[in-house]
Amino acid sequence: MSGRSEAGVASLQRVTPVRMALILISLVMLIAWAVLPWIHQPELGPTLARVIAAERSANELDIQRQGLSLPPIAALVALGVAFWSVLSPQLSRALALVMLVAGLLGLVYHVTFFVDLAESGRNELLGSMGAGFWLTLVAGVALMAQFALPRKVVPGHEINKVLGHQESVLALGILALVIVVGLLNPRYVADRNISEILQGNAYIAVAAIGVSMVIISGNIDISVGSLIGVLGIISGAMVVAGYPVWLSWLTPLVLGALVGSLIGFLVAWLRIPSIIVTLGMLSILKGGLLIFTNAEWITGMPTEYALSQQKPLGIPMGVYIMLVLTLIAAWWLRNSATGRAIYAVGGNAEAARLSGISERRIIMSVFIINGVFVGIASVMFATQLQVIQATVPPNLELVIITASVVGGVSILGGTGTVIGSTLAAILLNTIRSAMVFINVSPFWLQAVQGVLILATVLVDILRRRRQLT
Amino acid sequence: MNEAGQTRRPGSRFHDLLFSQEGVLLVILVLSVLLLSTRTDVFLTVDNLLNQGRLLTEIGLLALPMTYIIITGGIDLSVGSIFGLSAIMLGHSWQNWGLPLEYAIFVALLTGVLCGLVNGLFIVRVGVPPLIMTLATLALFRGMALGISQGRSARGYPDWFLELGAGEFLGVPNQLWILVLAAVIAAFILARTVFGRSLYAIGNNELGARFSGIPVGRNKLLIYTFSGLMAGLGGYIFVSRVTTTRSDMGTGHELDVIAAVVLGGTSIFGGTGSIAGTMIGVVLIQLLKNGLALTGVTGDATIVVIGTVLIFAILVNNYVQRRRSGESGAGAA
Repeated sequence: MSGRSEAGVASLQRVTPVRMALILISLVMLIAWAVLPWIHQPELGPTLARVIAAERSANELDIQRQGLSLPPIAALVALGVAFWSVLSPQLSRALALVMLVAGLLGLVYHVTFFVDLAESGRNELLGSMGAGFWLTLVAGVALMAQFALPRKVVPGHEINKVLGHQESVLALGILALVIVVGLLNPRYVADRNISEILQGNAYIAVAAIGVSMVIISGNIDISVGSLIGVLGIISGAMVVAGYPVWLSWLTPLVLGALVGSLIGFLVAWLRIPSIIVTLGMLSILKGGLLIFTNAEWITGMPTEYALSQQKPLGIPMGVYIMLVLTLIAAWWLRNSATGRAIYAVGGNAEAARLSGISERRIIMSVFIINGVFVGIASVMFATQLQVIQATVPPNLELVIITASVVGGVSILGGTGTVIGSTLAAILLNTIRSAMVFINVSPFWLQAVQGVLILATVLVDILRRRRQLT
Repeated sequence: MNEAGQTRRPGSRFHDLLFSQEGVLLVILVLSVLLLSTRTDVFLTVDNLLNQGRLLTEIGLLALPMTYIIITGGIDLSVGSIFGLSAIMLGHSWQNWGLPLEYAIFVALLTGVLCGLVNGLFIVRVGVPPLIMTLATLALFRGMALGISQGRSARGYPDWFLELGAGEFLGVPNQLWILVLAAVIAAFILARTVFGRSLYAIGNNELGARFSGIPVGRNKLLIYTFSGLMAGLGGYIFVSRVTTTRSDMGTGHELDVIAAVVLGGTSIFGGTGSIAGTMIGVVLIQLLKNGLALTGVTGDATIVVIGTVLIFAILVNNYVQRRRSGESGAGAA
């Protein structure tokens, strides 16, 4: 206990005038931005949402928005402070408190806006809000998170430990998002949409299981997106050509394992870095797919082939597959000798070798397992719709790797779980769906994904520093 | 290294040169050019080759800073997205903000610099691994390009603007001059300046470099910012060449660029590499694409060939390097 207070004193001394000034400026900015619109035009009533809802003249709106031109600046300053605090190894509690207040101030504005919006019933207005609005929302949450983040884990405080896990953060994030968006638009939480959210990214979650293992072992696979495209097409072409359905489902798994073993061989025995091998493989598969299909779509699959469209007990098949595979993989990674060896190889290859683990064999099996999971994902992907597109979905590998990384798999290898990656895949689809329901242009989705990766990595780094100090 | 000197045989300078990555590549390049020129008359003509020079400029510009970055053991996956965002900012600031086009060009370059700076700051100051940081910004910058443009394209550029992308100076495409100039400067900086040599030191042993007084953080920040600048410049030249701005511009460029750099003998683990090798890599990829297309192979098959060449080149290089280290190892024993 005494050590903690000492650390507190030490970190308080680190609050230099410059830092204090930065914090004050950001606070003033935030307050000004929250208050200014009402100073401009007091007769307009309490909040911007009410103004827009009343459909006042364009002129009035312009003035109102003038007051709102501050949020981007305020948000940027606030974000700057937040990031700078990441840079300093110790963040004092006083500082965190200031940030909490700043974040709260920002959020108060957004909450009143959301409440008014819900009253006026014109949810589409959200779509008309500028980037500044969303930026401040993110900044507010980021500032709050500064305070809420787990500090040094005090023994005996189980709640701290649980909250410190990436999985619980993700689960909370999904829950919060569903509640907030559900309040704004009740149709969002309708059964149909919830099952759509779970089903939509199921194949990404399955592929992310394999990729997570690859990353945990200290490698990377950027060819998964292309492989899913290729295997999906092959599977569809087979069933259309009259092969039995079970064979069309199984072949991608076998082919995936074959491709995986080729990659594994090149990486483990010929010592070519996995990023290079899979970069080359990405080109080969992508080009090969286009040659093979002539960019023609595959249609006319029999109904019993459509695995993803089956709904036993009213729940989409993809959800079952995702859950079962995630649980099996999580259990296997945690409890089997090979599973532990994957962590060992990724964490410290030299130590793993010295303790008698064959690094080559582990890397080889990781890529083969990854191939099988990609094969399963490709069947799920191919059977989602009545047609199979001949091109690889753009950026598919990026989404899959994002799911792994946001799920807490460290790109440096050695840490992470597949439960995290599955939750992250679900979170990504929750966000995508939420954007549709609150009428934000889907063009921003990819930017949100980028911010999400960044936020995850920053939080991870921050958490590690706190645990070290 | 000393051991290698002791085992040096007469005439081994040529031997060294031939079996350096650049030498191996040059042989592959010459062979493939000869092979392709026997298949079609159009390939080995001045017009065609100059036109290919026009097409490879953007990748070439991106490959220069990428060489620096990979030499330090880092990577920049976001170049394609910065490329696209800069192009979008050019069109957007011109048509939607009403800026004069000259300023819009400046905005594009500034966008590139800022994006690169963001990458560099996070990598250097916060300690985010480059792969993750630029993966995040790959999504972020592309997302911003999509969000800002809302998927719309900008066109209708005046003639003087298109001159850079379509015109020529002394019979050589304008942008090729820029690339050659940039490559020469980049090669000089890498090979002959303290800054350039420090990049190798960082790539070989970052901690050692830090202890020997090299400003590691500053230098890394510089090269990531340089990468952003080149992406901005590439975006500008690209818009000028294709006369329109779209938010998906430069998608996948990062892979082409990394392929060219790695093909050019820069080790993905850092510590080795040269601008000359990178340039040969860029040229080889472009000529393969063009030559194969001219001999009637479809564009999709050329991607396959490039992927295969990439893996094959690394394999050959690994084999040659291992033989050499085997030789020097034998010399030591």
